[in-house]
Amino acid sequence: MILHPGILALLLSSLLISGMVLYSATCGIGILRGWDINSGSERQLFLERKTYLISTILGYFLAFQLISLFLFVYTADSICPLFVGAMCAVGTLSLNAYGYPVLFCKTANFILAGLWLILNHVDSRGYDYPLLKTKYRLLLLLAPFVLGEAVLQAFYFLSLTPNVITSCCGSLFGAGTTSLASEMATLPAFPMMAVFYSVTALTVVCGILFYRTGKAGLLFAGLSGTTFIVAIISVISFISLYFYELPTHHCPFCILQQGYGYVGYPLYILLLVGTVSGLGAGLLTPFRKIPSLAAKLPPLQKNLTLSSVISFIIFTAISSWPIIFSSFTLEG
Amino acid sequence: MIDIRSIRKVFNQGRPNEFTAIDGVDLTVQLGDVTVLKGPSGSGKTTLLTILGCMARPTSGRIFLLDREITSLPERFLTEIRRQTFGFIFQRLNLIKGISALENVMAPAYPAGEKFSSLRKRAMELLDMFSLTHRAAARIEWLSGGEAQRVAIARALVNNPSVIIADEPTAHLDTRLSREFMEIMKKLKEDGKTIIIASHDPIVFDSDLADAIVEMRDGKLVRVGATR
Repeated sequence: MILHPGILALLLSSLLISGMVLYSATCGIGILRGWDINSGSERQLFLERKTYLISTILGYFLAFQLISLFLFVYTADSICPLFVGAMCAVGTLSLNAYGYPVLFCKTANFILAGLWLILNHVDSRGYDYPLLKTKYRLLLLLAPFVLGEAVLQAFYFLSLTPNVITSCCGSLFGAGTTSLASEMATLPAFPMMAVFYSVTALTVVCGILFYRTGKAGLLFAGLSGTTFIVAIISVISFISLYFYELPTHHCPFCILQQGYGYVGYPLYILLLVGTVSGLGAGLLTPFRKIPSLAAKLPPLQKNLTLSSVISFIIFTAISSWPIIFSSFTLEG
Repeated sequence: MIDIRSIRKVFNQGRPNEFTAIDGVDLTVQLGDVTVLKGPSGSGKTTLLTILGCMARPTSGRIFLLDREITSLPERFLTEIRRQTFGFIFQRLNLIKGISALENVMAPAYPAGEKFSSLRKRAMELLDMFSLTHRAAARIEWLSGGEAQRVAIARALVNNPSVIIADEPTAHLDTRLSREFMEIMKKLKEDGKTIIIASHDPIVFDSDLADAIVEMRDGKLVRVGATR
């Protein structure tokens, strides 16, 4: 294993997070089975105190889970000079079979942990623990992913051997291979642009509609999720080309490097914030019927919607900047 | 109405020094009444008061305030209820030394974020009500026992609570000051406040002011009776 501060931080944090998530999920099972708000029994009062403590501590752990996605990508990017053939995080992630599964797991966990934090925040606004059971069910869903991520990440870092010759992003996202990444890279740029701008515009319009009327919440959630997928494909398909000003360089990781002003970080942060906020805002809609949340949920949903819409707009603006203002063109 | 149902409070549960301070107490406190909790030291009066005033959570049991169950409330809601509903007068007054009487009175209202000028005005009115206007700027350590006690009462009233909770308020007072305290309680009762006092002082529990006497021993209610 390579002793790099980022790797040590990631391994240690994932150990702590998965330990806490496992403990909380175990307690969650007890809470799901034994919770009875109408009871004044010793067990019920114990569970009330316990859930308050667990939720507070877990909130901090999952907040770090969000950050760990970017720390992972940054670490993968920063150790690439140690491996022959690696030019960015792509090369580092391709070193063994665990690299990309860890990345996908971390991305899924970012979204799930973000949604859990939103649920927890909303639950704490109700006087009768209104989303308690939903919150712990989501935690039970999240737990295997977090544990899986910790195991995969450990395998990934422990299996890193500097004498392996790896591939650079040019080969993975090039037109010559038959991988999913390659297929995304070879999608026709202009139709993909049309899809990207249409989906983003639709999401923003739907978000504004939801913000103003409180209607179409689930549609907005669905569109936010769709925007995330379309935006990732678009980054690979055409957005990255304009940043690199190279018609064949589709890497979604090189934009995280200093040479491109680390523009990838704000792009991905905005995209993930927009997605999680949008999903959260929409998915909370059915809980408006709960009396203790009836007055508090709509303003919270509005804030989330606003955050989502603004994030998507800024993401689109940053992505469009080189398309509009650089001299690079894909035409002809 | 404050309704206490099957309240138990166990300290150091599961340890060798486990102690049951309250053991299955059921009690109803009528709003607007003066209720006196009477009993020897260690009978559980203070523990019951702290649970009633949302300063501690019971080990089991529920408390209903105006038919709303409050023991299960998450801390943020409990804090709000504690601030808005209850005013506390402590046995040792617990005034903050080094700051003035006025600042002491204002202190419990700071977290509510009220405009300073209106809060100061209200605190001055309270000090005026207890004839302490001239002592507003005086530090706590410069006040006499009677003045300090009245500052403590003014502080308990600053958030305009509907329930005043007093824990052994006359324990450190001479007879004259104890009677003065009861006179103030009488006035507050006339203003519609609910008053719950824990005391083993005859001046308090033999007073005409008490609507109900609750006698406690070893964490249990021995006798609950109306005085009239």
